[in-house]
Amino acid sequence: MESNLIVRRNEEMSVMEKLGILSDAAKYDVSCSSSGVGRRGDGTGIGNTLAAGICHSFSADGRCVSLLKILFTNECIYDCKYCVNRKSNDVPRASFTPDEICELTIQFYRRNYIEGLFLSSGILYSPTYTMELIYEAVYKLRTLYRFQGYIHVKAIPGADAEIVRRLGILADRMSVNLELPTAEGLKRLAPNKHRKNILTPMRQIQQGITQNKNEIALYRHAPSFVPAGQSTQMIIGATPESDYQIMMVAESLYRKFDLKRVYYSAFVSVNEDKELPALPGGPPLLREHRLYQADWLLRFYGFEAQELLSEKKPNFNILLDPKADWALRHLELFPVEINRADYRMILRVPGIGVKSAQRILRARQNGSLNFNDLKKIGVTLKRALYFITCSGKMMYPTKMEEDYITRNLIGEKERLPFDRDGMTYRQLSLFDDCGDIFWKG
Amino acid sequence: MEEFYLICEDSLEGIFTGIYDAYLKKKPHGQIHLLTGGEENYRLFAVYETCTPDEGKAAKVAGTIMREFGEEAYLAICRALASREPDKGEAIYKTVAAGLAMKNKRQVMGNLANPYIHRVFELARFTANEAHFHVEFLRFRELESGILYAPIGPKNNLITFIVPHFADRLPLENFIIHDDVRNIFAVHPARRDWYLVYGDEKLKQAEQNLSEGEKKYSALFSSFFHTIAIKERKNYGLQRNMLPLRYREYMTEFQGK
Repeated sequence: MESNLIVRRNEEMSVMEKLGILSDAAKYDVSCSSSGVGRRGDGTGIGNTLAAGICHSFSADGRCVSLLKILFTNECIYDCKYCVNRKSNDVPRASFTPDEICELTIQFYRRNYIEGLFLSSGILYSPTYTMELIYEAVYKLRTLYRFQGYIHVKAIPGADAEIVRRLGILADRMSVNLELPTAEGLKRLAPNKHRKNILTPMRQIQQGITQNKNEIALYRHAPSFVPAGQSTQMIIGATPESDYQIMMVAESLYRKFDLKRVYYSAFVSVNEDKELPALPGGPPLLREHRLYQADWLLRFYGFEAQELLSEKKPNFNILLDPKADWALRHLELFPVEINRADYRMILRVPGIGVKSAQRILRARQNGSLNFNDLKKIGVTLKRALYFITCSGKMMYPTKMEEDYITRNLIGEKERLPFDRDGMTYRQLSLFDDCGDIFWKG
Repeated sequence: MEEFYLICEDSLEGIFTGIYDAYLKKKPHGQIHLLTGGEENYRLFAVYETCTPDEGKAAKVAGTIMREFGEEAYLAICRALASREPDKGEAIYKTVAAGLAMKNKRQVMGNLANPYIHRVFELARFTANEAHFHVEFLRFRELESGILYAPIGPKNNLITFIVPHFADRLPLENFIIHDDVRNIFAVHPARRDWYLVYGDEKLKQAEQNLSEGEKKYSALFSSFFHTIAIKERKNYGLQRNMLPLRYREYMTEFQGK
């Protein structure tokens, strides 16, 4: 009787109301990237993808809007304590039909509002049933509407392996949410979810991708399976893990599961629950920021989690970014001679990023570089000057002393992407995507 | 010392012709300068000459750049050519001269210690970044006729860099991208190649009437755009860094606010 009532209500709802409810419910999912796969349109439909990904707008919190991020339904049989859509919450519920999703995606896409579809869902009846619904919508979009843009879908833990496989052939990226960094945290806050169930589809997708690469090597036109790779996300600050634990988990995900990205999501308190921490200062954004900085160091700068943190020093420095923090603890390696040092070492200098390091390597082939050249190349000299020499000279006479340099680096106020609250990342458009650097020269 | 100033037209053809004529002079490059368009303060004891754009000369210079420097550097120079900055002609000329004197000519754009090459690099980056912003933030509106219409107001003349992207993406759509500042239209008829139209009044009049679907979907997207923000993380400063205000004038989700 009651379920009938809900269905009727849902049919009466306008697309506008549904979009309101189902995008509001999806907004806490962090991943918005549309990168990792470059595919030209074949001229018979609509859409292409760019390896670097494209952000189409930035919302009031500064986060990028790249995909139409919605839930299929916000009905859910689970009762995860941190989630707005938990079963015991009294919130308006709605469900899209596959046609509504296709129509919205196409109409938004052709106006250049979005780069594609991000489809997740609350769990209706069972994980497999829910994934069948998602599959139906995505299948329709790909075949009937001939949509060739980006599609990111969630794999729901506990669903049949078969449906995950079928969906993987249609989607560009799949992700399984790790939810919380450790199994204990998960047990406490998400009683219906189990670590093992989460890792199973993750492993399946990883193996599918590897196998598919071999197939494509053999048959060029073999259908590609999750070509943009898989990602995951975990909530930071809802459970008491240290930064060290979180980084170790992230590192093993990158190594053992070949993930493209791990997203960290500062816990936003949406439910009142005795198991959840009270966060009077708002979401732990600085902590999230430091984790992302360290994540970049792992992926692009050749660092290992063990170098940045340890059992004895389990959390990041609030005042210094992880790279500067590392450099200060390893002053014996500095200063580095810019005109001779190898790429790996140049990358480790605070104030020099991947692009500057590459430019230095190319530019020094034509003669030695001085500090002025470095400035033009894009090196942040006020941070780098303590760690480098050009032709044997430092920029200013500098004491190689930890305290002295620390004082000076902290004095140069770090530019955080937020002042007191709010922050995020524009998706990185340099490496996820070595394939073709299409726009930026 | 005699100095030469070659005044060329502000176009790919004009500047490449200027470079060709500069080489014809057989003088040290330091004595020759390229100017684009407008009057300057004329200098005493300098010779001013006007170059008439010549397709043949320009093609030769383009061919040399392509052959000696490679496609990537050629593309960078083309982007610099689209720049709005008046010193682009001089920077490109001196870059070509410096590049041809290098041992490894394909590495020309890597030689950032050279001030002219660095300038070309800067100009090219500006155009490329602005082009990328337009790929992100350009918004089509559907007109009553079903044509998609997008006005843009770029600082650099970048329309030719962005249309191929949309032509590949929307092959079955009739669409028009309109550079509001220079009054250039890029027209893409469905299933056919796109072309440029300069300052057409008829096209301008067609802009006005929006279709019924347009009102519905622009309202849906605006509402989506506002609900997707997490209020606990509100950060307008970051939003402004990522999405500069000058683009918002043309963006659907910022209309009527």
